[in-house]
Amino acid sequence: MVNFSDLNFIFRFLPIFLIAFYITPIRFRTWTLFLGSLLFYAVGDLRMLPALLAAIIVNFLFGKAQFAEKSKSMLFFILAIDAGMLIEFKILGQFVNSSLMPIGISFYIFKMISYQMDVYSGKIDKEVAFIDVATYFSMFPQIVSGPIMRYDRYLENPMLKEYAAGEKSILAHIEDGLRYFVLGLAMKVLIADHLSMLWHDIGTIGYESISTPLAWLGAYAYTMELYFDFWGYSLMAAGIGVMIGFPFIINFDQPYGSGSVSEFYRRWHATLGAWFRDYVYFPLGGSRKGNGRTIFNLLVVWLITGFWHGITPNFILWGVILFVIIVIEKYLVFPKLPEGLARVVGKFNVLVLIPLTWVVFAITDFDMLAMYFMRLFPFFGQGIAVNDNDFFKNIGVYWMILLPGIILVIPKVFEFWENRRNHVVFNILWILLFWFCIYSISGSAGNPFLYFRF
Amino acid sequence: MKFLKECPILIGIVTIAVILTVISFACQKQVYSDYAEETDPVKTPALALVLKGARDGVFPWSSVSDQGEVVSSEGELVVATGEDAGTEGDTTGQDVETAQGQQAGQDTTDDGPSWLYGDANEAVSDNDVSGNDSEEEVYEFTEVDDDYFSDALFIGDSRTVGLSEYCEPLDERATFYSKVSLTIFTAMNKDFVKTDDGKITVDEALQKNKFAKIYIMLGLNEIGTGDTEYFTTAYKEVLDRIVELQPDAIIYIQGIMHVTAEKANGDKNFNNEKINARNEALAQLADQKTIFYIDMNEAVDDEDGNLDSSLSFDGVHLKASSYERWHEFLLHNAIVR
Repeated sequence: MVNFSDLNFIFRFLPIFLIAFYITPIRFRTWTLFLGSLLFYAVGDLRMLPALLAAIIVNFLFGKAQFAEKSKSMLFFILAIDAGMLIEFKILGQFVNSSLMPIGISFYIFKMISYQMDVYSGKIDKEVAFIDVATYFSMFPQIVSGPIMRYDRYLENPMLKEYAAGEKSILAHIEDGLRYFVLGLAMKVLIADHLSMLWHDIGTIGYESISTPLAWLGAYAYTMELYFDFWGYSLMAAGIGVMIGFPFIINFDQPYGSGSVSEFYRRWHATLGAWFRDYVYFPLGGSRKGNGRTIFNLLVVWLITGFWHGITPNFILWGVILFVIIVIEKYLVFPKLPEGLARVVGKFNVLVLIPLTWVVFAITDFDMLAMYFMRLFPFFGQGIAVNDNDFFKNIGVYWMILLPGIILVIPKVFEFWENRRNHVVFNILWILLFWFCIYSISGSAGNPFLYFRF
Repeated sequence: MKFLKECPILIGIVTIAVILTVISFACQKQVYSDYAEETDPVKTPALALVLKGARDGVFPWSSVSDQGEVVSSEGELVVATGEDAGTEGDTTGQDVETAQGQQAGQDTTDDGPSWLYGDANEAVSDNDVSGNDSEEEVYEFTEVDDDYFSDALFIGDSRTVGLSEYCEPLDERATFYSKVSLTIFTAMNKDFVKTDDGKITVDEALQKNKFAKIYIMLGLNEIGTGDTEYFTTAYKEVLDRIVELQPDAIIYIQGIMHVTAEKANGDKNFNNEKINARNEALAQLADQKTIFYIDMNEAVDDEDGNLDSSLSFDGVHLKASSYERWHEFLLHNAIVR
């Protein structure tokens, strides 16, 4: 149920929660959200609920003490606890048993760290009640995979404030959230989940046996799968947030329209990038302490980013590769090359190098990764038992998913919809789109032999 | 009207959801009875029944008998699976035959599948098993070259599809009627064989084209469906029909290929005990005259009798580079009459 594209979430938890939320008097609505979020978490991962609760209480208490008297050593202490908890569970999850990794820990710990630093810096200046901190950390639309909303945005919710006479009605909030939710659902269910089958099929064939065209198709298909999986999730999460009064949190801002890799990562998973900027890069001095220090700071940011995504070596390699590309862009491409050429190189980096870095992201085993790159660039050796028709076979099957995916990658398309999203044509389309998604999901729901695909 | 203007999408979705839920409840004893049985109402909202039905071409206005034909086999099977699961839970760690025995005990049929393992292992190459007169010729498996396959047909699921895609010597010579997710229940009557005039069923294709050897490997997709007896009965029907259509062909029942230990571990259906039990039963369908049983698992197993994990990425399918082992096995285990 912790999956937003689960029928139980869509048809049971979400409507019941929304009704409960809005029939609760405003004074107690935060409690409804908090208890609903705990229920949501408990259904997904009851065993790790105590870890979440403990982290909430500890962070509340340290924050409270910090309001009374600012103390740098206390800040470092709580940051060490938070970071230590995250690292420990990541290691346990990786090396002992993946079920030991609490759902959403990467995200709620990051919210907690941002909270502590904002309290210390005075950005959060009024003392915060326990229920608000606890709800901010645990709210179900964001607990599983973000977006990493800041506390000041949490406060912008008119539905939780008694004095706020909302400009928009409750139903208008729900309707607008629903628009984003349906679009996100479609991206995830209709595009990402189907493209993941292509990537899986490539694994089944074995990387040593794919043709070079299929290897490239795979790299781009995986790139799109990841994009629509996470953008779709983020739209669903932000849409649910809008339904209960929160501002729309932008997590993906047309990253593939970027002109460089550093711009790409300001627009891809933007709340994570901004988090690293504000709570790691700037505190280290950012770019104000000379070139050597800037490069070092970037390296730190990208090593932690890699580690945060996973602690197998390929994620570290992925982070280091991005660090190298960004440094080259920053110190060679844009300052030294003529402007036109620099723009071409920047676009090339986004549209060709980024998909290749996703391959590094995807394949955890170094030998298999090397094999995949040998098929991408077949100068170093031959494949084994390669079927040269595999590219056309897969294009024949997957074109109808790849095509809408490519259209949605074009930056203006989303903007076009967003500006006209309450047009009657889109309203009708969205109802159809929603039910088409549900039709697609229900084929697999509750069916243990879900794919019947061998 | 104000509401409709304010939240048209919400109203549209809620209205349709209510209608679908009402239909689900109203018809769950009739058209959707099979879906209702296989769906846990706690885990799945009721309206899923209508949508699941629609995927199979079952609609509220479909007559009950119509949908009976469409889904009855599946509906029935899933119930049977439930029983399997219970039985296996009780017998974890015991050997296959005990599990089978208990399963038979739970079955409602009197005779049970006891005939299955009379002398399962020895029977395979024993010509006398059917009690026919002993003067008939005894066939032995021998080595052949690739030209043996030029009048051969392969029927199978995605694993056989893989063989056609990644084993060039076979693909160049033999015919493949193979399809992803094919089962023994759909093998003869699903129209997927491509011809110039559109798609036809294997049954129709076998009426038109003649083959000297027919290789079948089916049984993994339906491993969670029904019990072993139910499976072998369906298998036998397919064999009988093929013999009727192609009386001169040598028919090979290929044992179901194993899955890797990692895949099998903890999976109540896709495990090698279950596959072995079905393979033993399949071996009994061979008559050693026109129908032979071969088991290619020896070519791909590790020392514990699981599919060697280095040969497979997903635990179920061979990697492209591993199909050669299957090919080699077929070259060394052929019948020449």
